[in-house]
Amino acid sequence: MSAAVPASQQAAPQPVPRPQPRPARRGLRRRAGRTGQYAALLCYLVFLAFPLLWLVSTAFKSPRELGSVDPTWLPRHPTLGNFRTALDEQPLLHAALNSLLVAGAAALISVAVAVPAAYAMVRFRGAVSRAGTGWILVSQMFPLVLVIIPLFMVLKNLHLIDSRPGLVVVYVVWTLPFVLWMLQSYVKAVPVSLEEAAAIDGCGRLRTLRSVVLPLLAPGLVATLMFAFVTAWNEFFFALVLLKTPEKQTMSVILTHFTGAEGAADLGPLAAASLLATIPSLAFFALLQKRLVGGMLSGAVKG
Amino acid sequence: MRRRSLLTGAAATAAAAGSTTLLSGCGSSDASGVPTLDFLSLAWQEESVAANKALVAQWNTAHPEVQVRYVQGSWDDVHDQLLTSFEGGAAPDIIHDEGNDLTDFGSGGYLADLTGLLPAAVRGRIPSAAWDMGRFGGGLYGVPFLQEPRVLIANRGLLGEAGIDLPDAEQPWTWAQFEDIAKELSRSGGKDERYGVAWPMSSPVSVTLNLSLTTGGRILYRKDDGGTEVRLEQADSAFAEMVRRQVGTDRSAPASALGMSGGDTLPGFFAGRYAMLPLNLSYRQQVQQQAPARFDWVTLPLPVGAGAPDGGRAQGVSPQTLSVSKDCRHQAQAAAFIGFMTQTDHLVELARGDWMAPTGTDALRDPSLTTGKLGWSTGMSVAAHLVASPALGRRGYPEWSDKVATPALQQYFSGAIGLDSLRKKLVRDGNRVFDRYRS
Amino acid sequence: MSAAAATAEPRPGAGTPPPRTTAARRRMLGLDRDAWFLLLPALIPVLVLSVGPLLYGISLAFTDAQSGVTRSTSFTGLTNFADLRLDSLFWDSFRIGLIWAVCVTALQLLLALGLALLLDQNLRFRWLARTLALVPWAMPEVVVGIMWRLVYNPDAGVLNNTLRHLHLTSGHTDWLSSLSLALPAVIVVGVWAGMPQTTVVLLAGLQNVPLELHEAAGIDGAGAWRRFTTVTWPTLKPVVLSITALNFIWNFNSFGLVFVLTSGGPGGKTRLPTLFAYEEAFRYGQFGYAAAMGLVMVAVIAVLLTVFLRNRLKEADQ
Repeated sequence: MSAAVPASQQAAPQPVPRPQPRPARRGLRRRAGRTGQYAALLCYLVFLAFPLLWLVSTAFKSPRELGSVDPTWLPRHPTLGNFRTALDEQPLLHAALNSLLVAGAAALISVAVAVPAAYAMVRFRGAVSRAGTGWILVSQMFPLVLVIIPLFMVLKNLHLIDSRPGLVVVYVVWTLPFVLWMLQSYVKAVPVSLEEAAAIDGCGRLRTLRSVVLPLLAPGLVATLMFAFVTAWNEFFFALVLLKTPEKQTMSVILTHFTGAEGAADLGPLAAASLLATIPSLAFFALLQKRLVGGMLSGAVKG
Repeated sequence: MRRRSLLTGAAATAAAAGSTTLLSGCGSSDASGVPTLDFLSLAWQEESVAANKALVAQWNTAHPEVQVRYVQGSWDDVHDQLLTSFEGGAAPDIIHDEGNDLTDFGSGGYLADLTGLLPAAVRGRIPSAAWDMGRFGGGLYGVPFLQEPRVLIANRGLLGEAGIDLPDAEQPWTWAQFEDIAKELSRSGGKDERYGVAWPMSSPVSVTLNLSLTTGGRILYRKDDGGTEVRLEQADSAFAEMVRRQVGTDRSAPASALGMSGGDTLPGFFAGRYAMLPLNLSYRQQVQQQAPARFDWVTLPLPVGAGAPDGGRAQGVSPQTLSVSKDCRHQAQAAAFIGFMTQTDHLVELARGDWMAPTGTDALRDPSLTTGKLGWSTGMSVAAHLVASPALGRRGYPEWSDKVATPALQQYFSGAIGLDSLRKKLVRDGNRVFDRYRS
Repeated sequence: MSAAAATAEPRPGAGTPPPRTTAARRRMLGLDRDAWFLLLPALIPVLVLSVGPLLYGISLAFTDAQSGVTRSTSFTGLTNFADLRLDSLFWDSFRIGLIWAVCVTALQLLLALGLALLLDQNLRFRWLARTLALVPWAMPEVVVGIMWRLVYNPDAGVLNNTLRHLHLTSGHTDWLSSLSLALPAVIVVGVWAGMPQTTVVLLAGLQNVPLELHEAAGIDGAGAWRRFTTVTWPTLKPVVLSITALNFIWNFNSFGLVFVLTSGGPGGKTRLPTLFAYEEAFRYGQFGYAAAMGLVMVAVIAVLLTVFLRNRLKEADQ
C-alpha cells in the first residue's frame, strides 16, 4: 500500500462541490511543486552521497594520481591494483563474513528480545518501566570508555573473550538501550483499543502481541533492525579489544590495518577495502527500504 | 584497598563467577602442549607486513618448541587496545610499540624488565644511545629496533632553478642558512604562489621537543628526584621561534600547513607549492609511490643548530620497540624471539620494509641501506646521531602534551599568542601537570 | 509519550491510556506475571553486562583509581569533584561540547525531517534515493574521518577545488586548522554522519500518520503546511522527541569522528568533553577523575533533557 501514501502536493482534487482553481493552473502548480521536490531531493543526495562517489573514484586511482593537487572525479588511469593489494594484504572476505554473522545475529537477537520488553514497558507502566528507562538513558550518557575495562573483566570471567558469540552478546546488550527506546515510541503509536478488541475476542497477551501489535510495528521494527545491524557492523572498539585471533576479526578492525601512525594511510587500498565493506550494507538497505513503509499498516490503523 | 582486588571484586560480583581467578590468559598452549606466544605487530606498509610475517614463519620452523602467532595491530589504537587488555589481564606476549608508550606501561608495571632476559649478543648489537630510549626507572622495558630521523625532502628542480647548492650529510645547512634559502624559494601571491617550506604541525609537540635538541635545548628536563621540569630558555625555544618567523614574518611557510599531518602536505609538494618538506624518513616511501612521473626529488639532511652538542646533528627520537608483557608465562622464550627479530640481517629487512633506520650499529652500515638511491644513505648517516627524545621516560608527558603544549604551540605558531605567553603556558601550567606525577 | 515522561516526571494522562483503575494498574505493575515474562529476556544480559560494569564505572568517580598494577586505590569521597570544579580546561571543553551537541542535533533534526518527508512522497526512483540517503551510515567510521579530511585538505581537497573553480574563494581556506572555522567544519561532518539514522526513524514514524486524516484535510483544502502541523506533526511528535533526545545524548558523547579530523585542535577549539574524559582515562590513566567527569556530564545532560522534554510535554497538553 506504500504507493497509496498521499503526497502532500498530490492531494488530488476530489469531486467536491466547491470553487476550484482552474484545472490548468492547478496542474502547473503541481508540476512546479514536483520539480521543487526533485530538486530538493537531489541536493540532499549530493550532500549525502558524494563521499561515496569520492571513495569509488579513490579506489580506482593509482598512488601517483592520489598525490595530485588537482584531483578529478573520474580516475585518469583507472586501475584495479588497489583491490588486488587490499585483498592480498588482509583477509577481507573472511572479515566481511565475520562482520555479517556477528552484526546479523546481534541485530536479530537484540530486536527479538526488545519487542516484548518494550511492549511491557509501555503497557505496564510503573516502577519497572521507570527503572528501565532510567537505565536506558544513563547507559547512553555515561562515556563508554569508562565501562570497557570492567566489562572486559566480566567477559573474561565468563570465558567470552576472543569469541564471536561473546561479541554478539556484547553487541546485543550494547544496542538494547536504543532498540528499546525506539521500539517504545513505535509501540506507543499502536492504538490500545485494538488490543482491547483482541482481548475481548479472547486473545491471550502473547497472541495479541503476535497477531495485532507486531504487524503494526513492522516499519518501526525494520528501522530498528537496520539501526542495530549498522551499529554492530560499524562497531570498532569492542571488536578490537575482545577479539585476538586474526581469523575472527571483523571488518571495521581490519580496515584500521591500512592506516599508520600520525594519520598516514595507505589510501588506495583503504578506499578499495572500504568500498568492499560499504557495498554489503548498501545492498542490505536497498532490500530493506521497501519494508520501511509498512504494507500491513493501512487497514489496521483505520480501525 | 588495592586496585586489583577492587576490580576483581566488582567483576566477580557482576559476573556471579567468583570462583574464577584472574590468571593471565597470556601464553596459551595448544593441545600438544607447545606454548604459543602472541606477537602484536604494528607493521602496516605492505613490504613491512610481509617482512614481519616471513620472520615469524622462519622462527616457527626453526623453533618447534615455541610457536609465535602474528597478530596485526594498528598504530591508531594500540594504546587503548593494550591498556584494556593489560588491565583485564589478557595482553599479547610480545608487543611492538613505541618509546613514549613504554613510559606509562613500564612504570604501570605491565611490562617485564628485560635487563636479565636478553641474550648478551643483543645488547652488543645496539649502541648505548639507543638503549637509553627503552630504559627508565631502573628497568629496561623495550628493545628499540627501528627509528627514524627527520630529513628534508626537497624538490630538486626548484632548488636547482634557484641555484642552490645541495648539502650532504657531512655538511648540513645551519638553521640560519635554511631560513634564508626558504625565503629565497618563496614567491608570494598569484596563481604560482610558492613557499620555501611547509611545516606539517598537526601534532606539534614531539617535533618541537625533538628538534629543540638540534639547537642545544630540550624543554623537558629531568630533575634530581626523577621528576620533570619544563624550561623554555633561548636554546629551548630557538626552533619554535624560527617556525613562527617563517610563518608569520618571512612568509616562507604557509599557515595552512600547520594543521596538516605529513601526508597532507604531499599533494602541494608535488604541485610545486612547497619546495621543501621536513618529514620523517619513512615518508620517502609515499613520496616515491605518489610523485608524478619525472618529479625530481631529493633527501637532504635536516639543518643543524650552531653551538649545540654533536654539531647540532643530535635529534631526539622515540623509537619503535619490542617488549614482553609482564603476565607472559614464557618470558625467556619471548625475549629469545626479540633477540631473533633484532639480528642484524633481520633488522635490515625490517628497516627496509618500513623505509626506516635500524638501531643496530652494524645494521646501519649494511650496504643495502647505504645506497645513494632514494635518500637511504643520507637517512642512515643522519640516523647515526639520534638520541632519546626529551619526552621519553617523563611520566605525565601525554597529559602535558595534550592539555598544555599542543594548544599553546598551535596558538603560538599561528600568531595568536607571543613567546612570553607561550613560555608562561608551557612552563607554569606544565610544571603543575608534571608535579602531579611526582609520586 | 511516556518515554519522555519517565525522564521528566510521570504525568497523569501522558501517553497511551493507562489501566483504568488503580487496582488494575497495581496488578499490572509488580504482580502481573506477563510483564516479568516479557521483560526477562532483556533483563538478564543487561544486568550482567551493562548494569554491573556501569555501576562499577560510576563508583570509580569516588576513588583515586589509576591505571597500573603497582598503584593502590582508595576511597576519596568527593575530592575528584572538588578538583573538577576548578578545572577550567574541562569547563571550556564542556562549553564546546554543548555547542557541538546542540548544533548537530538541531541541524540533524531539521534536515532529516525534510528528507524524510521527501522520501515519503511517491517519487520516481524512490528506492534509489532512499538507499543513497543512507550512504553515511554504510561507510565505516575510520573511512568517514579519512574521506572528510581529504575533502577539507587545503591543497588537494574537493571542497577548495570546487570553490576555486566556481571563483567563490581563493581556494586555499584551511578548514580544519583555522581557529574559527574548525568547529563549524566538524559540525557539518557530524550532521552528515548522523542524518541517516534520524531520517530512517522519522520515515518509519511517518507511516503511522493516519491516511484518512490526511485525505480529509486535503479535501478541506488545507495547504501543505497546515496539513503538516495539524495531521503529521502530532503523530510524529513522540518519535521526534525520542530520536532528538537520543541524538542529543549520542552527539554529546561522540568524539571518534572529531578525533580523526582534528584530534581536538586547533588550540583546543574542537576538544569535546568526552574526548577529554577519554584521554584522562586512557592516555593519562586517571580512571577515577575521568569517571567523575563522566558523572558530571550525565548529570548535566539529564537536567537539560528533563527541561527539554518537559517543555515539549506542556505544549502537547495545551
